[in-house]
Amino acid sequence: MTRQPAPAAAPGKWSTRLHTLLGWLKGYVLIAPAIVLLCIFTIYPIFWQIHSSLYDGSLLSKTRNFVGLQNFRNLLSNPDFGQTVGNTVFYSVGVVIITIILSTLAAVWLNGKVQRRLNSLTLAAIFTPHIISLVSVTTIFLWLLDPQIGAINYLLKSVGLPTCPFLASSKTAMFALVLMMVWKGTGYYTLLTVAALQGVPKDIYEAASIDDTPGWRVFFQITLPMISPTLFFSTIVCTINSFQVFEPVNLMTLGGPANSTNTLVFQIYSDAFKYLKLGQASAEGVVLLAFVLILTIIYFAFLGKKVHYQ
Amino acid sequence: MGAIRLINLRKDYGKENVIPNLNLDIVDGSFTVLVGPSGCGKSTTLRMIAGLEKPTGGQILIDGVDVANMAPGKRDLAMVFQNYALYPTMTVRRNIEFGLINKKVPKAKRDNLIDDVCEIVGLTPYLDRKPANLSGGQRQRVALARAMVKEPKVFLMDEPLSNLDAKLRASMRVELIELHKRLKTTFIYVTHDQTEAMSMGDVIVLMNKGIIMQQSSPKDMYHNPENTFAAQFIGTPPMNIVDSLVPGISIGFRPEKVAFAGDGSAALVLNGTIVTKEQLGAEYNYSVATAEGKIMVKSEDDQEPGACRLFVRPEHLFAFDREGKRTGMSEAILARLPRV
Repeated sequence: MTRQPAPAAAPGKWSTRLHTLLGWLKGYVLIAPAIVLLCIFTIYPIFWQIHSSLYDGSLLSKTRNFVGLQNFRNLLSNPDFGQTVGNTVFYSVGVVIITIILSTLAAVWLNGKVQRRLNSLTLAAIFTPHIISLVSVTTIFLWLLDPQIGAINYLLKSVGLPTCPFLASSKTAMFALVLMMVWKGTGYYTLLTVAALQGVPKDIYEAASIDDTPGWRVFFQITLPMISPTLFFSTIVCTINSFQVFEPVNLMTLGGPANSTNTLVFQIYSDAFKYLKLGQASAEGVVLLAFVLILTIIYFAFLGKKVHYQ
Repeated sequence: MGAIRLINLRKDYGKENVIPNLNLDIVDGSFTVLVGPSGCGKSTTLRMIAGLEKPTGGQILIDGVDVANMAPGKRDLAMVFQNYALYPTMTVRRNIEFGLINKKVPKAKRDNLIDDVCEIVGLTPYLDRKPANLSGGQRQRVALARAMVKEPKVFLMDEPLSNLDAKLRASMRVELIELHKRLKTTFIYVTHDQTEAMSMGDVIVLMNKGIIMQQSSPKDMYHNPENTFAAQFIGTPPMNIVDSLVPGISIGFRPEKVAFAGDGSAALVLNGTIVTKEQLGAEYNYSVATAEGKIMVKSEDDQEPGACRLFVRPEHLFAFDREGKRTGMSEAILARLPRV
């Protein structure tokens, strides 16, 4: 046996250390651009917002005074803000539940044994709303939902059903917004779910048919668990998007009638840029952040356990 | 009971006919292997028996009952798939239990059955794992256990060992044979691997292009091929078939029955040159160029490349007609073979 040369003492150690350090540094250098952008456009604004929520003053005033939690106290004592939060939650729950259930059912149907050409046509049809700009969608819906000259009321009348005031009434305005956004969003989530369904191996279904499995059991115990990662992703993304709803409110109702469609982001926008109450708007932003954060944590804690990852 | 009879079974995929007219009797309790090259219709036949494919025409009788239009789950059979087809979201226990719950077997009985079956296939320590955390061999066992626990009339197996490595495949082969001896249920086993077919089946059904080429015991399949297809499918290297020796007759002989030296008893003697030599272990595969074409020889003799003589004894010679069907070997044919 030949003897290995003894490792060089100090210089060798130093070069090894330098090498490790360089390797460590290289990783950080590579992710630096992303980190820098993330810090400037996400992390810094979050802290700035939290900081700003503790001050009063507007975008225009030179001096801003520290007011502690006064902005939050104002929010708590304002019943309109409670309603705004309620509206946002109602809207989000409505959109998420209806969209996810509808898109799952549509996806299962589209993935079935219907004619292939008809399927791709249907999929294209329900996906189209997703690629139409929201401004166009709201314009179309403002016309469709018009209580006097709208097409939907015309249809309702022509089959002898009572008409609906839609956006003109505080009782129905939020429903109308929810339905519109479900119409716009379902196609996107359907497409995601169809892709997930196509990834489920066929032979599992064959094994289930040989096991004499009833259809409902195949759906709930095989199909749903198999596509659960996609459904989980869809639910989280849809929830976060819904909590941040702004455009339809701004373009269609401006929060009305009687505050019935006011949502958190629209309130933030109004307070910051209309009433120039920056501190107030920041406090509302912090509330929104907390909501979305808590919901996401809850999702991961409870739903996440039921999700099956390959 | 689990006797299966296929009558005038036909299968078309669109305009393409895969199985023209299949008639097959599978005896209750037998280990029947459907074997053939890919695309020969063996898997399609199995899947029609299972109910996963609908036959275009004909009957499938299980114990005398036509099941051709019956749902797969009502046919009282179990299937083991090539990719195992385990339910990935469920634990091993749930996988095995799944079919029993559908059959509304009470909980206590289910637990007993699962315990028994897992004892047999050695899965007891893995009952709470998900399939993703099991090795290929363990997954195969889960698939087997899932089939066994239903106590079906018939086990259908679609290339169940083809995803395992060679060593594991050999040991699972033995386990499946033992399992069949223990259960005494009808096994129908599909494979493209002739070694698997020969070693496992009581009955081998050799198929080509949707037609049964030969149905016999492994022994007959080797010693009594009914046609050149059967003769060349079974055995490695395949049987040598020489057309140019006798007009209208093809002469066949297996590579392992050719000797490099012989006495006066050889009925066929050919001169040739060794072109290639492969070492297999105890044996060698030689490719020999002769005036009649390339002849494969499998022998324990260690020959140097170069000129050689090949000897085949009369009892190792087969005669086939121009359509490739086996005909009797006669003195007249033997007399025309070269013995230089």
